[in-house]
Amino acid sequence: MKTIEILRIDSLNRSPLIAEGYLFEGSDPTAPSVAIVGAMEGETILPLYTASKLVDFLRHSLDDESKIVGNILVIPSVNHYALNINQRFWPLDKTDINTMFPGYGEGETTQRIAKKLFDALQGYTHGIILETREGISTCIPYIKLFESGYEDLKSAKKFGYRLIHHKSLRPTDTVSLQYNWQLWGTKAYSIICPSDTNIDLNTSNEVFDGIINFLSKNKIIQYKVLSGYESTIVKNRDIEIIKTSKSGIFIPTKKIGTTIKKDEMIGKVIHALEGKVTHRIFSPCDGLIACAYKNGLIFENAVAFRVIKSG
Amino acid sequence: MQITEIFSSQLPVGEKLTIKKGRFEPKERKPDTKRISIVSGTHGDELEGQYVIYLLSSWLRENTDTISGIVDLYPAVNALGIDTITRGFPIYEVDLNRAFPGSNHDYLPGQLVHALAEDVKGSDIAIDIHSSNIFLKEIPQIRINKEFSPSTLPLAKKLNCDFIWIHDAVTVLEATFSHTMNEMGTKTLVVEMGVGMTLTQVYGKQLLSGILNLMKSEGIISTDEEFEQREPFSSEVGDVFYINSPSAGLFVQSITHCAIIKKGDVIGTIVDPLSGKIHDTLYAPSGGILFTLREFPVVYEGSLIARIFGESHENN
Repeated sequence: MKTIEILRIDSLNRSPLIAEGYLFEGSDPTAPSVAIVGAMEGETILPLYTASKLVDFLRHSLDDESKIVGNILVIPSVNHYALNINQRFWPLDKTDINTMFPGYGEGETTQRIAKKLFDALQGYTHGIILETREGISTCIPYIKLFESGYEDLKSAKKFGYRLIHHKSLRPTDTVSLQYNWQLWGTKAYSIICPSDTNIDLNTSNEVFDGIINFLSKNKIIQYKVLSGYESTIVKNRDIEIIKTSKSGIFIPTKKIGTTIKKDEMIGKVIHALEGKVTHRIFSPCDGLIACAYKNGLIFENAVAFRVIKSG
Repeated sequence: MQITEIFSSQLPVGEKLTIKKGRFEPKERKPDTKRISIVSGTHGDELEGQYVIYLLSSWLRENTDTISGIVDLYPAVNALGIDTITRGFPIYEVDLNRAFPGSNHDYLPGQLVHALAEDVKGSDIAIDIHSSNIFLKEIPQIRINKEFSPSTLPLAKKLNCDFIWIHDAVTVLEATFSHTMNEMGTKTLVVEMGVGMTLTQVYGKQLLSGILNLMKSEGIISTDEEFEQREPFSSEVGDVFYINSPSAGLFVQSITHCAIIKKGDVIGTIVDPLSGKIHDTLYAPSGGILFTLREFPVVYEGSLIARIFGESHENN
């Protein structure tokens, strides 16, 4: 394993931000390769944990170095500065590195970070980005693939997650790492992780096992795995968005990942000052709760659940 | 003036978020009565537009007889952000000016911007007033997407600003208010001026004259009063030069904002307080007008220090 300096940014008073990559050189130069990017934002604990766990796995858990067949680059964190102060975005100007691609070497700080990172990510067969959802919600682990014309849905199934969200492209997605990486010839996938701030070992194992599945099925590593799910491809039209008509204290009564029936109660809202139930949330369809609002206080008309419709 | 709510949402604990609109209209409406919408406060740390809308509202209250069109005022799109010194929509950390057009099925910030776009829809003209951010100070200027410039440039020239910056179409900017409204058929102009978290009164009064001048020429007000219309520089006849910090440190200005400068003039220095050393001295790469200058002194490598509008690269 080699440690590579991906980028260095100095600060007026903080110690320099040095983002490092861990490069595992494969035994077969002709084998497919992969680069994996962990935390680009500060509140992305599971992406950080999964990437660092992968570094440890590749170093210590494969009994023979030759079982790493293709090159693997793992960059656990790009944004230590945000992680260390529990901020989501770049601490000074609050810009999101994942909206700065392909980057610009003569531009603003986060454009320069994106450029240095993007340069280091070129030439890989596959690219995996560990992300969390935007907004105030958490979810079961799934793959997000933009409808960009460059996406590879068949390969995305090799992770074995329950869902692949084949998502229509918004203007702001055109400056994301996934989109630009695909444009530059790498088959890129985003793994959307639960946005919990604590590590749940069951969930983190699910995320981790998906990556190992993918590496194994693409013959990047030799490692026997148990198959995951036969992934369901989900389009925007397959998602039922359930909003709350009242604001207050939000109590989900069903967890993400639960299969539910039409008219089943899945959550309620309590009056924040008087304690009475002001709104009960019932599912309008059969399906699977893929995402849920994650804060205890909820706004009026906020999206409380996203349910993948079945039946 | 009528005040209405264009969006409201009950917050979790005993408070209601409302986005308000003020409307001035003529005593009699005709089929060809024009409508202008003035929008500000999309970013919670930008307050200059609040002052301009105050000045405009005050002028219209004192000159109600002149009103011959509909004037809609939306001073605080990100009302929650303005009152909490938060640029994005609080808690969601979303830049509202990257969330358009939104929809009723979107998350809360998306619902809010959708409500704004639907309310402004049908206006003949919209002006979206921004005040940079807390880092940079801007002279009063208009930003125009080249795609829409045939219809918006003539209006921009009436706004009494110092500079018109016509930029190429960028996909990511399709999520802005101005792009959304231009697509919907409302001629929309973006004003940038001043600096975040501050009121620059002289700029506010300058833009007020421009808005009144535009409204008069469009028949939205009918008055004999003359309003200033200065001749702006236009990016059509020159280039914009960027100066970014080459190192981290404290930026110390050596020059006045909005100055006419010569190539090689010192713009400022990047210094290290601890060692007392100068890391870098920044020189103007072109002669011209310094229309953007950094106000917030802490910089990283890449932080924008200044922008100069000067002669094209070929002539420099």
